[in-house]
Amino acid sequence: MSYGSEVYVLGGYQTDFARNWTKENKHFSALMREAVLGGLERCGIAPEEVQSAHVGNFAAELYCMQGHLGAFFTEVDPAFSGMPTSRHEAACASGSIALLAASAEIEAGRYDLQAVVGIEQMKTVSAAQGGAYLGTAAWYDEEARDIEFPFPKLFGRLGDEYDARYGLNDEYLAEISKINYANAKLNPNAQTRTWYMNKEHALCRTDDNPAVGGRIRIADCSQVTDGAVCVFLASRDYAERYARGMGRKLEEVPRIKGWGHNTARLRFDDKVAESREHRFVLPHVRSTITSAMERAGIPDVSGIDGIETHDCFTTSEYMAIDHFGITEPGESWKAVEEGWLEIDGKHPINPSGGLIGAGHPVGATGVRQLLDAALQVSGEAGDYQVEGAQNFQTLNIGGSGTTSVSFVVGR
Amino acid sequence: MPVHSQSPSPAQARQILASRRIERVVVLGANGTMGYGSAALFTQAVPHVTFLARSREKAEEGLAAAIGQVRSPTVASRASVGDYGELESAIAEADLIFEALTEDAEIKRDMFDRVEAARRDDSIVATVTSGLSIGGLAEGRSESFRQHFAGLHFFNPPNVIVGTELIAGPDTLPEVVDFLEVFGRIRLGREMVRTADTPAFAGNRVGFKVLNESAQLAESLGPLLVDRLVGPYTGRALTPLATVDLVGWDIHRAIVDNVHANTNDEAHDTNALPAYMAQLIERGVLGDKSGGGFFKRDGKTRLALDPASGDYRPTSEIEVPDLGYIDEVAFFHAQGRYAEGMQVFLNAEGDEAALARKVIAGYVSYAFHRVGEVCETIGGIDRIMAMGFNWAPPSVLVDTLTPAGAVQMIEGAGLAVPEALEKAARTGEPTRFFLHPHINVGRFFVAN
Repeated sequence: MSYGSEVYVLGGYQTDFARNWTKENKHFSALMREAVLGGLERCGIAPEEVQSAHVGNFAAELYCMQGHLGAFFTEVDPAFSGMPTSRHEAACASGSIALLAASAEIEAGRYDLQAVVGIEQMKTVSAAQGGAYLGTAAWYDEEARDIEFPFPKLFGRLGDEYDARYGLNDEYLAEISKINYANAKLNPNAQTRTWYMNKEHALCRTDDNPAVGGRIRIADCSQVTDGAVCVFLASRDYAERYARGMGRKLEEVPRIKGWGHNTARLRFDDKVAESREHRFVLPHVRSTITSAMERAGIPDVSGIDGIETHDCFTTSEYMAIDHFGITEPGESWKAVEEGWLEIDGKHPINPSGGLIGAGHPVGATGVRQLLDAALQVSGEAGDYQVEGAQNFQTLNIGGSGTTSVSFVVGR
Repeated sequence: MPVHSQSPSPAQARQILASRRIERVVVLGANGTMGYGSAALFTQAVPHVTFLARSREKAEEGLAAAIGQVRSPTVASRASVGDYGELESAIAEADLIFEALTEDAEIKRDMFDRVEAARRDDSIVATVTSGLSIGGLAEGRSESFRQHFAGLHFFNPPNVIVGTELIAGPDTLPEVVDFLEVFGRIRLGREMVRTADTPAFAGNRVGFKVLNESAQLAESLGPLLVDRLVGPYTGRALTPLATVDLVGWDIHRAIVDNVHANTNDEAHDTNALPAYMAQLIERGVLGDKSGGGFFKRDGKTRLALDPASGDYRPTSEIEVPDLGYIDEVAFFHAQGRYAEGMQVFLNAEGDEAALARKVIAGYVSYAFHRVGEVCETIGGIDRIMAMGFNWAPPSVLVDTLTPAGAVQMIEGAGLAVPEALEKAARTGEPTRFFLHPHINVGRFFVAN
């Protein structure tokens, strides 16, 4: 064990986000099991090696009538019987919170090898019921009670806030949607990889693309998704042994170089009121991004080769563009117009397809972003690979910009 | 003819994709199901897609159906329509000509006469035929036509089912085949499988054998019991006879007749269309599209066919033997414990379980025996069964049952054990047959 160790990402496994586990008649435990067994096999790790496990999940109590999720590890393999486990929740940032907890335990020298699972089974209920459950990620009584699909409305207001401060043309939002869907076609685990989408469709103002909350239309939304992702985090000592066993050098194993984590006020109105005099609409999100870069020793976004960001709606990606410092505040449209966000652009965002294209199993998203970042810097992202990526950054957001977590993963 | 199973790497793929531009596609027979479905798919990747049919009205119907299928009016802004009077001018400009006429070699050949006369020397001509010989269709054509002609077999509906067979003729240029593979994978999001130019290619050859065997069994057992026995728990979302109803009995007949007439393998009798189906087809029973086949609905009541009389009875009134073992299998599947579930299946007692094992054993054995004939490796057959049929691929069943279990099942059914399985059971090599990096094995084992 090594106190103050760096944290390495040995690899992991993502389930196919296009699957509907309710249609398969599967219990939550099957989703967990496939993710963990898939991860162990993909990484060549024996279950006995894993010392502790963390589960990131938003609302299995609501969607699946099931709590106490860490304990489900013991159902995956007899070797996990007795292993310390825990479950973490921070709405859509739950997966990243689980990763932070696991990496803190490695840094503290408590454990050398951790399994982290992000998981959500959402297709158990109707769209309206699911929308209400998601409302509990806001201040439910104040912002979501008796409102149909509260979250699109909250993120519609994020767009309105940009519009008020700087002006916002919805055509740029449509382009963001288009890029995410197009990238998803290259990702064999993406939920929307067979869906029909283009910019013109995203701009449709008809029933083919209905409004769900202010300026937010269906094409602007991330998906309701069943999915789980498992990654293995390791101390330097373990990663060194692991790399040797694989015939690789430690330097070839991706590492979490930096992290950021902030929480803003729950209500969207309060956030906006706080940021009125600020250059950024969501200053705490900005701080999450820059503190991760600082800890990684990367001065600004020019040192980041690609981003996996939280595009729960096109407006949240629009926000991320200037918050990452790709443009000046309020000028995110420039990056869209210049084609910088595409896989071969200057600042690729969401080569995986993001939450809009790849899917958004709420508690799994942060872990999926970290795994994709690790695959990118390892050159193992297949058809959605960003050529020569050395450093990738994630941004995972819970609520209406409330909890934000960012990781810089690199080699 | 070599049937390569090795996909190009992402870097190679980008290079191959850049080697040729596909800006204009012409779809012939764009009013048929495969025509408009494929045309809709092309509009996702190509700026100009021309829907051609016998009349302009038919082509317009095809465009409307395409819009309905993918639920996007934007298909129209990438599409134009016309009748075959406009064929020559459209084809002269086309980079890819996609033939989706009715499954009749003469009709297709007549059309290819006109295509050949009008096409540019570098344009690709693809046919969506689900089983006619690619070499046969290209026979007697110019060298340029033969070099640029291939089978591109989408499954219905193409916007949902991604499994796609790519079949070269004897003279198709390797770079044309490589390009179609990458174009399909990257631009159209297909799971591309190269198959040999054999009757019904790989997917339908292996898949319709199982469907037809189920139809044969239904003659004495009735469709309800057969679909329960060869049900979701055996590794499929849709039961076999419900699949035949969805596909259409006429299409089913065309495929199995083609295989039966043009092959002579160990399952020859299994590919013979049951006589009761032939009779009912004559009476207009074509499956879902004619209002019913093995099953139909009367309001909320589900009815099942009595093959002997041609009458229907409510499924709730049909007695089915106790199949408690299926609930036990489903219990394990629901928790993701697929190997344990399949062990229950392997060891279940009773004639019904034995019959179910015979069908599944036949599927695995037949598929492994087709390696080298329809695909170079079992991997190709696996991928088309997974992504074209949404069935557990043969290798997944072997891995889940273990090779020894699979051999036990095949021997128990009195079928020939494929050499690869016999060897794996004996030596433990390979430890895993299904090696696809992304297809989730668990998705096929539906828990009911």
